[in-house]
Amino acid sequence: MATQLQGKRILIAKPGLDGHDVGAKVIALALRDAGAEVIYTGLRKTPDYIARVAAEENVDAVGLSILSGSHLELVKLTAAALKREHADDVPLFVGGTIPRGDWNALKESGVDCVFDSEMSLEQIVDEVARRLA
Amino acid sequence: MTDATAPRAPINRRALGRALSRIADAMVAEALAVLDGEAGAAREVWRCGITGPAGVGKSSLVGRFVNARLAHKRRVGVVAIDPSSPYSQGAILGDRIRIDAHGDDAELFVRSLASRHARDGLADNIANVLALLEAHDFDDVLVETVGAGQSQYEVRELVDTLIVVLMPGAGDMVQAVKAGILETGDIYVINKADRPGAKEMVAEIASVLRHPQSSDDWLPPVVLASALGGDGIAELDAACEAHRAWRASHLDAATARRTRRRAHVRALVARRLAEVTDGADDALWDVDVASAYHAVVAGLDYPRR
Amino acid sequence: MEVSKALVATATAAELNQAITMSQSKSEAHNAGAARRTTPSGIEIPAVATAAMRRGPDDSAPGEYPFTRGIFEDGYRGRLWTFRQYSGFGSAEESNERYRFLLERGQTGLSVALDLPTQCGYDPIDPMARSEVGKVGVSISNLSDMETLFRDIDLAKVSTSFTINGTAAMIFAMYLAAADKAGVPRAKLTGTIQNDILKEYVARGTWIFPVRPALRLVADSIVYANQESPRFNPISIAGAHVRDAGSSAVEEMGFTLANGLAYVDELLSRGADLERFAQSLSLFFYVHMNFFEEVAKFRAARRLWARLMKERYGARTERAQQFRFGVVCGGSSLTAAQPYNNVVRVAVETMAATLGGAQSIFTCAYDEAFQLPTEQSAELALRTQQVIAYESGIADSVDPLGGSHYVEYLTDEMEVAIEGVIKEIADYGGVVKAIEDGYLQRRIARSAHERKSRVDSGESVVVGVNRFRNETENKTVGEVFESRASTAAEVLRKYEKIRDERDAAAAERSLATLDKAARDHSENLMPYLVDCCHAYVTVGEMVERLKQQWGEFVEPVKL
Repeated sequence: MATQLQGKRILIAKPGLDGHDVGAKVIALALRDAGAEVIYTGLRKTPDYIARVAAEENVDAVGLSILSGSHLELVKLTAAALKREHADDVPLFVGGTIPRGDWNALKESGVDCVFDSEMSLEQIVDEVARRLA
Repeated sequence: MTDATAPRAPINRRALGRALSRIADAMVAEALAVLDGEAGAAREVWRCGITGPAGVGKSSLVGRFVNARLAHKRRVGVVAIDPSSPYSQGAILGDRIRIDAHGDDAELFVRSLASRHARDGLADNIANVLALLEAHDFDDVLVETVGAGQSQYEVRELVDTLIVVLMPGAGDMVQAVKAGILETGDIYVINKADRPGAKEMVAEIASVLRHPQSSDDWLPPVVLASALGGDGIAELDAACEAHRAWRASHLDAATARRTRRRAHVRALVARRLAEVTDGADDALWDVDVASAYHAVVAGLDYPRR
Repeated sequence: MEVSKALVATATAAELNQAITMSQSKSEAHNAGAARRTTPSGIEIPAVATAAMRRGPDDSAPGEYPFTRGIFEDGYRGRLWTFRQYSGFGSAEESNERYRFLLERGQTGLSVALDLPTQCGYDPIDPMARSEVGKVGVSISNLSDMETLFRDIDLAKVSTSFTINGTAAMIFAMYLAAADKAGVPRAKLTGTIQNDILKEYVARGTWIFPVRPALRLVADSIVYANQESPRFNPISIAGAHVRDAGSSAVEEMGFTLANGLAYVDELLSRGADLERFAQSLSLFFYVHMNFFEEVAKFRAARRLWARLMKERYGARTERAQQFRFGVVCGGSSLTAAQPYNNVVRVAVETMAATLGGAQSIFTCAYDEAFQLPTEQSAELALRTQQVIAYESGIADSVDPLGGSHYVEYLTDEMEVAIEGVIKEIADYGGVVKAIEDGYLQRRIARSAHERKSRVDSGESVVVGVNRFRNETENKTVGEVFESRASTAAEVLRKYEKIRDERDAAAAERSLATLDKAARDHSENLMPYLVDCCHAYVTVGEMVERLKQQWGEFVEPVKL
């Protein structure tokens, strides 16, 4: 069994009102199977809450799952909230339905990596591990 | 309770979050270095454990209970423990969203821990984690265990008040008696009060609890609650306050401190033992048991830093 | 070994080798005496199906109980299925403009998508609504928005379908209030509200209240619609989202029928008339790519539903036994890689839907997996249905696959498997408990994880994604999801204006009456909600008042 994320703590969060949580849950399970301790927030969390959990749990990465089209605003708000909690050094990942045209704007807002739904779970886990190494 | 005149510094979540990781991840040597000379919190901090079988709604109950504690203007720290996967060592830590549902209480801090190597329903270095929270200006420190069973005894010695949560259902009582649950709790909660058999269960539990030897002894109350609807939370809170008061008037503080310290040292030694045995060469297990025993014991200690 | 000429002509060397290996391994398997094959739901597939594999005789004709061959005697010869479109965005004004344009072009049905704050019961001013106002649909917070949305549209003549669940009762009340104000008799209203709250807990996430009071709202709105606007469909029980989230066809049907039965139980417990409400129930599904399993899924579920309604509940009239359903073709089977392949997928799925006997079909545009559909792609989606309806001949004879050994075998097997899922949920303690404990949610998350792993490993073939990839493909940059920045500001301005101008005392009075009625479990809340709407009480205010009494759903997060 792959264990490249053993000892890592990762927050998987659903900001905003988007209720499609299966992608986030599948990623949470894949990260767990790779050895990570995954804090999963459930639906409808505010950027402030996500940042607070990131700080309290001292996570190694924050992953946001957004399928509502509000990714640009929600990522900006989350990045700002992380900064307020002095946790803006924590890598920020985003997945969901994110048009390629928005990837650069997200990276400028502080996102380290954008994942799309056609990447395999193995690719996603490997990429997370590489960036947390 | 804190001095109302002096404004309290806000919780530094980032710094405390980091410190908790350091202590939770620490090898015994590191943990000892942190603890060395530390006398423990000078103020009186109330430590409370919440335990009970999986599925009885512990986290929701803790969430409701935390609100009651916050309403007393107390600063509350919560440690919620979830099991680690025996295969990948990974874990899904999902309890906290039931505990800090509002997500914006300035006086609440929640930390999730995976059980990791711990097999007792607790987590690695849990004693150190609780001690660290105590040293960080909390009034209440709560710890929610993975399930019930062995953890009853371990957590019992780490906390001032132990709340045991059960729910109505045929299997539960039998399990409870088997697991020795009914000898450890200071307060019993029958959660999911709306389910059939809840009231009968309260009576049943009350009838089999250990009976006080004298009028001075603590008789554990049984509280009927519904974490979903919020019923019974005020009663639970009152029972906790009563238990605190009883402890203050009936228990010698020094004895309590000794008991706590004994448990802490035992936990450290147990974890050190795991470090040594897990890290040992295969060759160690080729010799006879007595030799291996002495080798392991000799390997336990290291020079004090 | 035979490799098609077309493939040889166009394939790269790597693809050719792959094709050769495939056809080799296939013939080896064949020689070995057929390796076991199953449908995606795990139903054993015989190499050759025969009449002997049937579980029992079912010689029912189309339009005859248990309706295996369809609910109409004349199938699509009498009436084709309905072609559906989905729209609604931004402010009520923008949507109204769009609707009037569509109606002028001859469309007779409107489909209203609502933004997430409206779906989750937050007014536009709520901090939770931040950055979502007018995003995935139109913002409707009070009667004035509803009036604007249908300005210059005759509610008696247009059929309106609302994709709304958590706040379905409030939005339906508002629609009735808008009709009242426009002088349109409620009895003339036609359309649908989705109103399927159970699947929101399981897969789509726009829940608000705990399960039990939420069920009461669903039952109240169904009963009220039956009385006040009998031509309006008060619920569309949806399996689509459960399927899209990752479950199999059998689970999709099993979960959905179990939800349907839970609504029936709730309605009966509130004293509703079975023959009356059962004929206003309709269902809604996705179609996926395993053609025969999908056809069989609909036939099996139609038979099973009729049996349950008749045998378990004693429904006497045919209308009360019938399983009426709409479908979406596309959904999560669409891929961003090689998007033109999606045209083929949607066509195959549409065929499965028609051969399964769907009453209405929505076809996704091929580019929906990565962008907002363009006008051309949306048109092509509609044309796909038209080609199948008017050129393929599928609509000419009723249930043309009926009697096929394989389809009848699969129909029998699917029925048993679907009933098994329903029983499993019943054994667990019923849908409500399974949702409260997170049991169903956990099952779907695990199914999704398994499905993703099968695609990752290549066990499930997705052309263009894990097989026959085009490595040089330049992924198109999709059109960015855009809503005018001014929309949210405009919505907020209008919202505050209404709050300032309305009769505050009347608003509070109607809310107080709603609150009182909610405390009496035997009351139907709909008339009180309509009164609130007439007083320009907002969706957020109605929800907030009920939350104070009922609390909110607490999501069980266990994976």
